Amino acid sequence: MNWRREPSKLGALFRRRKPVDDLEEEIRAHLEMEERENLEAGMPPEEAHYAALRRFGNVTLTQERSREMWGWESFETLWQDIRYGLRILAKNRGFTAVAVLTLAIGIGANTAIFSLINAVMLRMLPVQRPNELRLVGMVDPHSDGDGDTSFTNPLWEQVRDRQDVFSGVLAWSGSRFDLAQGGAVHYANGMWVSGDFFKTLELRPAAGRLITTSDDQRGCSGAAVLSYGFWQEHYGGAPSAIGSTLSLNDHPFEVVGVAPPGFYGMEVGRNFDVAIPICAATLFDGKKTRLDQRSYWWLRVAGRVKPGVSLSKLAARLGVLSPQIFTAALPQDWDSNGQKSFLRQVLVTTPAATGTSELRGQFDRPLQMLMGVVGLVLLIACANIASLMLARAAARQKDLAMRQALGASRLRLIRQLLTECVLLSSAGALVGILLARWGTALLVRYISTADNAVFLDLSLDRRVLGFTLAIAIFTSVLFGLLPELRATRVSLALAMKGGQAVEIDRRARFRNRHWIVASQVALSLVLLVAAGLFLRSFWKLATLDIGFDRNNVLVVGANLETAKVPGDQQLSICEAIESRLRALPGVVSVGRSWTTPVSGSGWNGWIETEWSKGLTGRNSLAWFNFVSPGYLGTLRMTLLAGRNFNDRDTKTAPAVVIVNQTLAQRFFPNLNPIGRTFRIVEYGKPGPPIEVVGVVRDSKYQTLREKTHPTAFFQVTKIPGDGEAETFELRTGVRPSGLVSEVQAAVAGVNKEIPLEFHTLSEQVNDSMVQERMLALLSGFFGTLALLLAMIGLYGTLSYLVAQRQTEFGIRMALGAERGSILRLVMRSVISVLAVGVVAGVGISLAATRVLQQLLFGLGPHDVVTMIAAVAVLSVVALIAGYLPARRAMKVDPMVALRNE
Amino acid sequence: MTRQSSEDRLELVYGSLDMLILRTLQWGPTHGHGIAKSIERMSEESLKVEHGSLYPALQRLQQEGWITAEWGVSKNNQRAKYYHLTTAGRRQLVAETSRWERYVRAITGVLRPADTGG
Repeated sequence: MNWRREPSKLGALFRRRKPVDDLEEEIRAHLEMEERENLEAGMPPEEAHYAALRRFGNVTLTQERSREMWGWESFETLWQDIRYGLRILAKNRGFTAVAVLTLAIGIGANTAIFSLINAVMLRMLPVQRPNELRLVGMVDPHSDGDGDTSFTNPLWEQVRDRQDVFSGVLAWSGSRFDLAQGGAVHYANGMWVSGDFFKTLELRPAAGRLITTSDDQRGCSGAAVLSYGFWQEHYGGAPSAIGSTLSLNDHPFEVVGVAPPGFYGMEVGRNFDVAIPICAATLFDGKKTRLDQRSYWWLRVAGRVKPGVSLSKLAARLGVLSPQIFTAALPQDWDSNGQKSFLRQVLVTTPAATGTSELRGQFDRPLQMLMGVVGLVLLIACANIASLMLARAAARQKDLAMRQALGASRLRLIRQLLTECVLLSSAGALVGILLARWGTALLVRYISTADNAVFLDLSLDRRVLGFTLAIAIFTSVLFGLLPELRATRVSLALAMKGGQAVEIDRRARFRNRHWIVASQVALSLVLLVAAGLFLRSFWKLATLDIGFDRNNVLVVGANLETAKVPGDQQLSICEAIESRLRALPGVVSVGRSWTTPVSGSGWNGWIETEWSKGLTGRNSLAWFNFVSPGYLGTLRMTLLAGRNFNDRDTKTAPAVVIVNQTLAQRFFPNLNPIGRTFRIVEYGKPGPPIEVVGVVRDSKYQTLREKTHPTAFFQVTKIPGDGEAETFELRTGVRPSGLVSEVQAAVAGVNKEIPLEFHTLSEQVNDSMVQERMLALLSGFFGTLALLLAMIGLYGTLSYLVAQRQTEFGIRMALGAERGSILRLVMRSVISVLAVGVVAGVGISLAATRVLQQLLFGLGPHDVVTMIAAVAVLSVVALIAGYLPARRAMKVDPMVALRNE
Repeated sequence: MTRQSSEDRLELVYGSLDMLILRTLQWGPTHGHGIAKSIERMSEESLKVEHGSLYPALQRLQQEGWITAEWGVSKNNQRAKYYHLTTAGRRQLVAETSRWERYVRAITGVLRPADTGG
């Protein structure tokens, strides 16, 4: 086709006189002229007419071929194909519904997982030129640690003032602010921002103005910027919000503006409601403001690289600047070793175009694995539809043969059938997107824990839509092409004869569908094995002996600082609260501690004993908690030796400690630790000896999966510094959540201002298993789905096969075969398909499950029990699915079968 | 002029239809029907050309730029589309004709031994 002529052709399309009509008229004129000549030659009128037509040839074909020359074929016939395809699909509603639903599930699942991956890992921050952003961190080149990304305020100020490689730098920190004034807390997600934060990100306000450098000066009164969502939710998007006052932690802030919609902060997985400048920390902290603290690490720093500065230049320059920066912010109260390692730090950068995220570390492997799972589900679904299409193609033989006789080229027919497939895929994709949106919202809510509400921007962006489109096209090619290629390879004569003679190469097609089903069986076995592994992992984790009894314990967090309780009174207030709580009806026992197990917070330090000199590095680390006498009993942690804390272990009494078994074995090997002492090592210097008075059974500290840490429990009265043990644990006889109001009343009786937070210990433990729980749930769901799809495929194929072979069975039975032998005949093919599928599936499982190693708990990826169970489940279901149509074969009445032919 | 039966007519070698059309048009612009009749007459009815097959060929020749078309009135006062040869078409005809003659010479040379030589 001569492309230079395109414009004229397009013009011709819209000109009044379409070339189609042009050609028609030309041909008509031609026929008339020929007819006239025939008449003049003496033919009778009718014969003249038909002779002209015969001489001309096939008018329709001529028109089509001429049009082909123009290239109209594509436009017009595509539209034709679509209309025809829609008609055909509407006629076979059952098939269409099943196909669209199957596709919707397959495509929807893939879109759902991909949009999660997109939201967590791929999506760029909605700022200008996000690729220029780099996150700034620090590493000690001599140590093998991963470095750190938290800054103190003095450090940040040094970086801000001394740097010359970024066109702008910004600092931020996530936090929570209490919007309520006294009484029950009402937290909003907060973000501390530096003065240049919004300017460097080049964001524009949705209303009012954003925080600027002038807002972030020492002694500021506090301006607040709302997020767009918060503005809509809390203020209804009213312009009157600008200029109003907002109370944060009991301090007034003026609302100066609203951030643009779609900006949720720098942390993926988190959202902010209110942003306030860093200088406002003084308002909360008072004299000992964190702005001057050289050991309080709370800020994250990022910068926009100056155009033209290469990454190597950036790294080099930061290397040069680091010593000055760190020297100027050196903590003065550290010992020389600590200071030396501080000064060794070097600033480094990592890409920050997609923001930062804690979610990534936790969920990137599970998400990738889930992507594999749903990919397999999609393949199985496609196989089902391919089978269906093969069956349908066989039924449409006559129709296709007719069209070929009328002159349709094979290519044209394939294109027509492919259009139907694309229509199906598109419908499936549209429904799938809806399913995906619903599913991902559900999933995000599921992985949000009480402590860590997950927020993800799940709006459909180009990447997700593009992915869905690609998947839809891929699936339609997959399930459409092969059957259609076979379908159009039809012998006209045989097709016109109709009947079962149409099955030209019946054997081959037989085997074709067998392979499809066998591969479905194999893939579903892989999914079942994966599901089994995850379910068993989760079960092992859920039933793990964690060293304490998580049931019926209410955990109450009190914040004495917000209530402005003076430091010297805090201890007595806590003790008063504890005794009041003990007196409540329904409460079995009460304890108090600095932290609870698997809560996300922890305290550790180096300790040493006479016998532990050989331990180095992390091995001489011990984890600490500060507990009241009631703690161990409330959590039902068994004391193995020695004694618990009691009232005589006051603030002024000598420090004593209860250790767990792991600590005892590591630091007092083969000895009875009771009566012996250890020392805490701070800044290289060992402290005073602390006597061990008890040994408690091992229990988990940070996570359920950890190899138990050596743990030391100190008296709650001995917390160093300004820390205060403000977590109360109540073991209740009734449902823990039922006591919330009583607890609130009891605490209010001591001090009305103290804000309280409630959750149960079992919730807390469950939240720490969220990744395993999600994997178990989803893999179980998709595994079952895959099994269901494969069984439908098996059932469908077998029914079809049985129907095809009805005549054969009829003849066999007429010739004297027993019904049982027919059954055996059919079941033989079932078992052969099953066997092939299982063998292939086991092979693939053994290879593929190796990647799951890290995600599993308590079992290896080649766990035999799981495999055997999966094979067993699959076999049973498959045999049932195969038996049903087989039984139908058995019941065939020979006379009916033979007559049908 | 006797009409030969259709079985005796020869199938056209692929590509030669274009040449025939161009040749016909060398003698002046004609419409489709006229071209068909010309070919029949000149070949003394030996060539088997379905009238219909001319039209796709005419479209193709138009696209190549060797002929142009415009509507006119025939001698019977009927509207018909007249085609005429362009300069490029004339050149194409010369090229095709010489290529055809070389082709025929080559085939004939193979079928009939050369006169020279012994």
